Amino acid sequence: MTPDLKLEVTGQPREYRALKLALRVLLVSALMAITLAIIYWVLSQNYPFRWRPALQHLDAFNKGLVLTLQVSAVAMILGAALGLLVALARLSPLFFLRDMGTLYVHSLRNIPFLVFILFMYFGVAPAFQSGAAVDLFGWHIDGRLFWGILALSLFEASFISEIFRAGIQSIHPTQMEAARSLGMNYFRAMRYVVLPQAFRVVIPPLTGELIALVKESALLMVISLPELTLTARQQGSQLPFQFEFYTILAAYYLAITLPLAGLSYLLERKFKIGGREEVS
Amino acid sequence: MSQHNMIEVKDLHKWFARLHVLRGVSLSIQEGEVVVIAGASGSGKSTLLRCINGLEKIQSGQITVDNISIHASKTNLNKVRQRIGIVFQSYNLFPHMTVLRNITIGPMKVKGMMSTRANERAMNLLKRIGIAEKAQAYPDQLSGGQRQRVAILRALAMEPKVMLFDEPTSALDPEMISEVLDLMRELAKEKMTMIVVSHEMGFAREVADRIAFMADGQIVEIAPPQEFFSHPKDERTRSFIEKVLAV
Amino acid sequence: MDRTSTDWSRQARSAFWFVLRLGISGILLLGAVFLIFWGLGSHYTFHWAEALQFDYLMTFFIGLKVTLQLSVLGAILAILLGIFVALARLSPWGSMRDFAGVYVHTFRNLPFLVVALLFYYGLGKAISLHSFQFAGQTFRPEFIWGVLALGVYESSYLGETFRAGIQSVHKEQVEAARSLGMNYVQVMRYVVLPQAFRVILPPMTSTLIALVKESSLLFLIGVQELTNAARQLAIPTRRPYYFEFYTILACFYLAIVVPLSILSHWLEGRLGASRALKEAAHP
Repeated sequence: MTPDLKLEVTGQPREYRALKLALRVLLVSALMAITLAIIYWVLSQNYPFRWRPALQHLDAFNKGLVLTLQVSAVAMILGAALGLLVALARLSPLFFLRDMGTLYVHSLRNIPFLVFILFMYFGVAPAFQSGAAVDLFGWHIDGRLFWGILALSLFEASFISEIFRAGIQSIHPTQMEAARSLGMNYFRAMRYVVLPQAFRVVIPPLTGELIALVKESALLMVISLPELTLTARQQGSQLPFQFEFYTILAAYYLAITLPLAGLSYLLERKFKIGGREEVS
Repeated sequence: MSQHNMIEVKDLHKWFARLHVLRGVSLSIQEGEVVVIAGASGSGKSTLLRCINGLEKIQSGQITVDNISIHASKTNLNKVRQRIGIVFQSYNLFPHMTVLRNITIGPMKVKGMMSTRANERAMNLLKRIGIAEKAQAYPDQLSGGQRQRVAILRALAMEPKVMLFDEPTSALDPEMISEVLDLMRELAKEKMTMIVVSHEMGFAREVADRIAFMADGQIVEIAPPQEFFSHPKDERTRSFIEKVLAV
Repeated sequence: MDRTSTDWSRQARSAFWFVLRLGISGILLLGAVFLIFWGLGSHYTFHWAEALQFDYLMTFFIGLKVTLQLSVLGAILAILLGIFVALARLSPWGSMRDFAGVYVHTFRNLPFLVVALLFYYGLGKAISLHSFQFAGQTFRPEFIWGVLALGVYESSYLGETFRAGIQSVHKEQVEAARSLGMNYVQVMRYVVLPQAFRVILPPMTSTLIALVKESSLLFLIGVQELTNAARQLAIPTRRPYYFEFYTILACFYLAIVVPLSILSHWLEGRLGASRALKEAAHP
């Protein structure tokens, strides 16, 4: 039923809505606080929490955080570049390129990242006789860093390529036809017409994928890359504050991923409206 | 008094959050009477029907159907609804059930009827509208007119005392409207108490005992068809009739 | 008769081309990988025969059994918790919905590894669990914590899936059912859940696939599962066959996950059909 706008609106002012929202946030925070307090109290009967000494190790955590952010950023850029190539291969007119793309995507998507990183670092890296440092065109990189970023990028490329593929396919084929009718070849049409439009569509899911990538980067601890998780673990194994350290660790990850999740949500809403305009 | 008021609406008010949608609607409908409600979209017609069925809460006023108060707290709505059939504009058939199951699910699960008997009655109803062979089909395999008629049968299978129709032909292609209206016409002949929200003025003129016109959340005029079309009292009714007749 | 036989031969022919195509592409992909491998100057000698010994494979199978146990128990817990989360997210009380929302968004945005470590080394320190015997098998605390971590973590995904599925059933369907006089339980049982189930099933399978994959991390808290088997087998001094063992490990995971993936894909195809059904009911 569509309410008639002519009907009298007995209004609640905007401030009232803001008040309601504030009340809601307050209520859920209070509820969370109470629940956590109860859990904390129950746990503290058996486990003596020592937050003060534990919190003195934040410097180490910050160092790990920097490495996690660096690794995630580089892997995201490489993964996106590779993912775009794989997506184009999967959409290419040549069947073997399409199939190779498909095999690549499905074989990586269906194994745990942990297995892949173990395979790359302990299986492939020794086969290249790569030592503690990798010599990349005269540029020396830490071996763990190199193989870690490589594994993360290769693995994420399989997920990112699916996002790009869906994005490109969401652009109506008439756009490609229109570009071709202007005399552009396939690559120009892709470059100037299809990809710029697809880019808008893929940005929200790419943000979501970045969250997944940050989460996956935690596994790089198994190749002893001193990122956030390994930091917490090493600190924890030396000092008796494991519970505290892992709680701090969780807070660090949430501090990275929650803002990204919020951003993804906002972008999704923004681009959904834009997308709808394009459909018509 | 062989006839009593089947539906009684008294000074009904309804708000959607801040919107005052129904503003003091009163309406009495006798047993066996057919009332067609017309009016612009947003005038509150559909909301009125939904209130009568208890699908919407009301803020003030009273509705009784067959002497049972719909919104009283002691009323078992599920019980009352068995006596009130409603047909929606968008059919709302259950897409995951066959036509037969759509019709029998209510009698079997709500009234506890045996499946053999429910099936038999459903088949009789389907034969009546001539699509018995579609009994095992799914709703998406039917035409719009067939779907809406099945939706009517689904409501009828509960043996209601009152039937409410919420713009039953608005979503249909023109060539399918008549088959639905024919079925409704038959029901009216069998003295079913009916409220029909519709823009089909030809149908209203022929079948309705009274026509009501709603505007701005109120019934501004209610009269037998003859009087309604020839001597409309309210200005808004007059302009509405002019528009309808011009088409 | 004639038509069916041509249908059959057409199908056989297309299946033949499909296999041939897959073969060509597979060989090309492997070729590309090997080119990169040798092009960059690798001098690795494979030891497939040594790595594929019966004893070693048995170690993998023992690990596989534990991985399957973890996955099944974790999945059951995740589904049960997920139902509660979905009910809370759909509840009429605003603060209940928000509370469940905080739960969901917290766990979704943490790496599973962090949750597993927090459960085992954090909660495990405060709440001591004991090993217990069941059906002739000993379940150790790390296994129990692993199952709990998997269940809690994946329930944050499943809860959202269930909620979206129930919300995908149109409001009009509920109204139509209510107007027949059905009560809440009947509306859920006959109208909402059967329709929601079709929407829920494909994303639910994807989450269960993720669960199997996440379970590999539990070797880090000492669970003797599939990945642990490969870690145990590959020893630098005696069996330095890392490449081979990890390839076998990957194949084991593919053997669990690919069938689930195909199932999910197939269900999605069927969902397409039921979506058409739904649209047919709502012009």
